[in-house]
Amino acid sequence: MVTMELDELKYQLKNKLADHAGRSDADIAALLTKKTSSVIGKLKRSLWIEIICSILVIIVFGYIGITSNYQSYRIYFSVFTVLSFGFLLLLIYLFKRIVRLSSTSLPVKNNLQTIVTVIEEFTKRYFQFTMALIPVCFAFILILLYYDKQVVPSAGVHLARKSLFVGVYIILLSVFAYKFTRWYLKKLYANYVAQLKECISDLAE
Amino acid sequence: MASEKEFISLLNQHQKIVYKVCNLYMDSYADREDLFQEITLQAWKAYGSFRGDAKFSTWLYRVALNTAITFFRKEKRKPDIYSTDCVPDQTEELYDPVEEQVRAMYAAIGNLSKIDKAIVMLYLEDYSYIEIGETIGITPNNVAVKMNRIKTKLKEETQRNNPNL
Repeated sequence: MVTMELDELKYQLKNKLADHAGRSDADIAALLTKKTSSVIGKLKRSLWIEIICSILVIIVFGYIGITSNYQSYRIYFSVFTVLSFGFLLLLIYLFKRIVRLSSTSLPVKNNLQTIVTVIEEFTKRYFQFTMALIPVCFAFILILLYYDKQVVPSAGVHLARKSLFVGVYIILLSVFAYKFTRWYLKKLYANYVAQLKECISDLAE
Repeated sequence: MASEKEFISLLNQHQKIVYKVCNLYMDSYADREDLFQEITLQAWKAYGSFRGDAKFSTWLYRVALNTAITFFRKEKRKPDIYSTDCVPDQTEELYDPVEEQVRAMYAAIGNLSKIDKAIVMLYLEDYSYIEIGETIGITPNNVAVKMNRIKTKLKEETQRNNPNL
């Protein structure tokens, strides 16, 4: 027998694909109360958590920054309050973009491109922010260690040994933070983005 | 809520579309159920963007295909091949050559890429190349080129896997 082609089997294939259809209104209504498991949905939830955390950090750090008796504490927590505020604005911007994306129905190609852009932007900014915090943190640790005698009365003693220890500690922690953040973001999103990019390249003219 | 009732009623009328997408993109029953839920949720979230100027079925196809293509299964992926769990047992039936052809073609479609599956799905629904292009986001010419390649691929695949047909 000669192999039939797609067009000749259209009707039967359509019927076979529609197999098992039969949900009631109540079944569909129940589904509307469930949580989405899409990556964009997860990203939205994760952004929510980060927005709440940022707000808490702003409140707590802002309070310490204003009320602390130690000058280094006031500077340290005030600077992080300002940084967290900047991060909060970025998170809100990304959150709004994702909400806009999930409430529209774009053509497949545009949808894929937008998701890839949003995820790449999120991971890029997240990485940049995390990395930018490392030197700021260490700068303040040093300020705290060497200039605030009230907090660290022994600062200045064995300065060379302490400097070496702090130097090595800073390098190791920076390398760890860099590697870990890269690994973490890659593990979360890299495979997914690669799959989406493969679909986009499938759509090339 | 009136809009929720309206949405549920519309989705119920067009649920075959969602089933078709789920059957096409997922192998196991559990995955199909997950995808059905996900498409329903995404359609509900995007329902505000649905304007009456387009057909609900066209809009639902777009949402369903977008969701299926970007759907991510957390557990280790099974090979993206056609599953026989929704097909009646062959031994219980009399041999039907057309049914065999359909089975072979269905299996071949199951092996296509996610994008090619979307194009085939709309083609089976008798969408024009212009409409397919609008849903997928490519030009009608590109749809025509892809459709030709897909047909050749499907023919080769069915012949290779079923030399007796």
